[in-house]
Amino acid sequence: MRILYVEDDPRSAAVVGEILDASGDVLVWEDTGSAALLRAGMEPFDVIILDRMLGDLDGLTITRRLREGGIGTPILILSALGRSSDRADGLDGGADDYLAKPFEPEELIARLKALHRRASGREHSAVILYGAFECHVKARTAFRDNRHLPLSPKEFELFRYFMENAGEVVTREMLLRHVWKMDFDPQTNVVDVNIGRLRRKLEDGFDRPALETIFGSGYRLLDGRP
Amino acid sequence: MIRAQRSIFSRLVAAAIILSLVLLAGLWWLAREAVSATLQDAAAAEVDVDIAGLADIYASGGEAELAARIADRLALIPMDGSASHYLLVDADGKVIAGDLAAMPPLDPATSQSGVIALDRESHAFARAVQLAPGLSLVVARRTALEAPVLSSLALVFTAGGTVFVALVALLGKLAARRLERRIDQINLAFREPQGAATLMAAGTAPSDEIDELAAHSAAALARVNDLLAAYKDTSEQLAHEIRTPLSHLDNRLVKALAERPEPRIAERLAEARGEIRRIVQTLESLLDIAASKANRGDSSGLAPVDLSALVTGMCELYAGSAEEAGLELRWNVAPDVGIVGDVRQLSRLVTNMLDNALKYVPAGGRIAVTLEPGPVLVIADDGPGIAPQDRARIFDRFYRGRGRGEETSGSGLGLALAQAIAERHGLVLSLEEGDAGAVAGATARDMGGAVFRIAPAS
Repeated sequence: MRILYVEDDPRSAAVVGEILDASGDVLVWEDTGSAALLRAGMEPFDVIILDRMLGDLDGLTITRRLREGGIGTPILILSALGRSSDRADGLDGGADDYLAKPFEPEELIARLKALHRRASGREHSAVILYGAFECHVKARTAFRDNRHLPLSPKEFELFRYFMENAGEVVTREMLLRHVWKMDFDPQTNVVDVNIGRLRRKLEDGFDRPALETIFGSGYRLLDGRP
Repeated sequence: MIRAQRSIFSRLVAAAIILSLVLLAGLWWLAREAVSATLQDAAAAEVDVDIAGLADIYASGGEAELAARIADRLALIPMDGSASHYLLVDADGKVIAGDLAAMPPLDPATSQSGVIALDRESHAFARAVQLAPGLSLVVARRTALEAPVLSSLALVFTAGGTVFVALVALLGKLAARRLERRIDQINLAFREPQGAATLMAAGTAPSDEIDELAAHSAAALARVNDLLAAYKDTSEQLAHEIRTPLSHLDNRLVKALAERPEPRIAERLAEARGEIRRIVQTLESLLDIAASKANRGDSSGLAPVDLSALVTGMCELYAGSAEEAGLELRWNVAPDVGIVGDVRQLSRLVTNMLDNALKYVPAGGRIAVTLEPGPVLVIADDGPGIAPQDRARIFDRFYRGRGRGEETSGSGLGLALAQAIAERHGLVLSLEEGDAGAVAGATARDMGGAVFRIAPAS
């Protein structure tokens, strides 16, 4: 991925740079909003990462200007303002995702990949196929090896989100936001427990595991093939 | 948004019109009485002069002469339309002369005078006198002036009164409209976010009470706006200045962990990262509490929320976790219960209540969630409840109860934030007093543990 990162704090920029280097992505760093606007207008990027509090323009203004300028590149706001209302401001202001500092490196990578995937339009088909799994979005039915999986409505939502991000790491925060519409992490282990239930339904009667737990960050849907 | 249903100014104008009508009616009655009294006095004087003349005639000419003169006078029709009426009767009541049909109820022996009825419509002032034993004379006089004077008086009052009332209404309306515009400007300033500035711009040097009120309002609004802006700036800076270094610190720990230290050290490093997360959460919760309190009563940014769906969704989300903790979570949610609110904050409120219940109810316990129209949300359990000495403090910031497992898990801000969010939505979060049997909601009854109730403030 080619990523534009707008951040006025060099240390934060270095951290993100290292993370993305490790994942093999190309990072272009700008430390002012106006320079970033200029560059975003001239070069194509897969994702843009914006800090909110910059020296000249703030992240929300940059988002608005980019959208007004017809640039639809997915935007992730990476900010020290992490309250629920701050996230709402960012997302209502045209950003596609919002991540608060401090963050897990895996969380950032997973979010960027998901944004890139969504922008490349892989998730909009009526039937999503991945390995042994099938997700019929309209009929709201799920299959593994052509066997129907009896999922509750919420479990289907979860399954569908995994299918849309098949083979990639999906974090708890991503699930909370996309499946349960919550932008904070409850104290209770609700995500793990609900994933556990989905896992049992996906694996019941099959030999191979369906969901892999990635320690400290989230889950990944496996292809379920022998 | 509160907006006046009825304007004080239209009521003031209506009151002014009614008051002037009442005043006019009163004046009209007084004038009428005064005119009548004056005219009657004039009639009385004329009657007395007439009687004196007739008495002279009787003294010099006797009864026959008197009867003849009375007949003469009756034959004469005066130019001004006023007319005198007479009656001369003897001791037996036999009419000797005159045109009055009967003796009026006046006593001749005492020269009684009074107003008598001539026929059904007209009245006259009359006096009865005794000229000699057995001879009584009644002279009555109706003033020709009374009817026309009274009718022109009525005309003057009707025409003048109409003009007067119309003027009162017009001037009242103009004055009211002017006042209304000025008051509206103040109200508008309170309704709109940038109101203080427009009010300041509109205001001149205070010349009357409304100008003074406008100036005070503008100053108060400006102060509130400044405070809110300062609060927002401070909380953003606070968040930024604390989260950024924490983020650097966290990153060092991540790097240290990446070097694969021995397990014991890795565990310590992971714990340190957990502590960083807790600090961030505490900061966020404190700022959220402050924001909820600052925005209390401000309805901007709120939208209709399907509370029934929200509570059901949250209960479904928590059902599995409750079961794993050995708890029975039941919910009884009335359909279509709505509220105007912030859906994110309301989710947070319900989540915090459920987190709290799951944390403090021991395994084997039951938790019941009930939502009724109102909205009234009750979260009851059959756990150990809240000790009497702790009841007053559980909503305090940083107060932690004795949960199961770790003795001080969580930030101690969950219930404080829940309460602040409830207040932001005009609701009150309270811990029900006494035994749980008194609590509304079938499933919440007789649980015996803590009973939290979220209901409208009034």
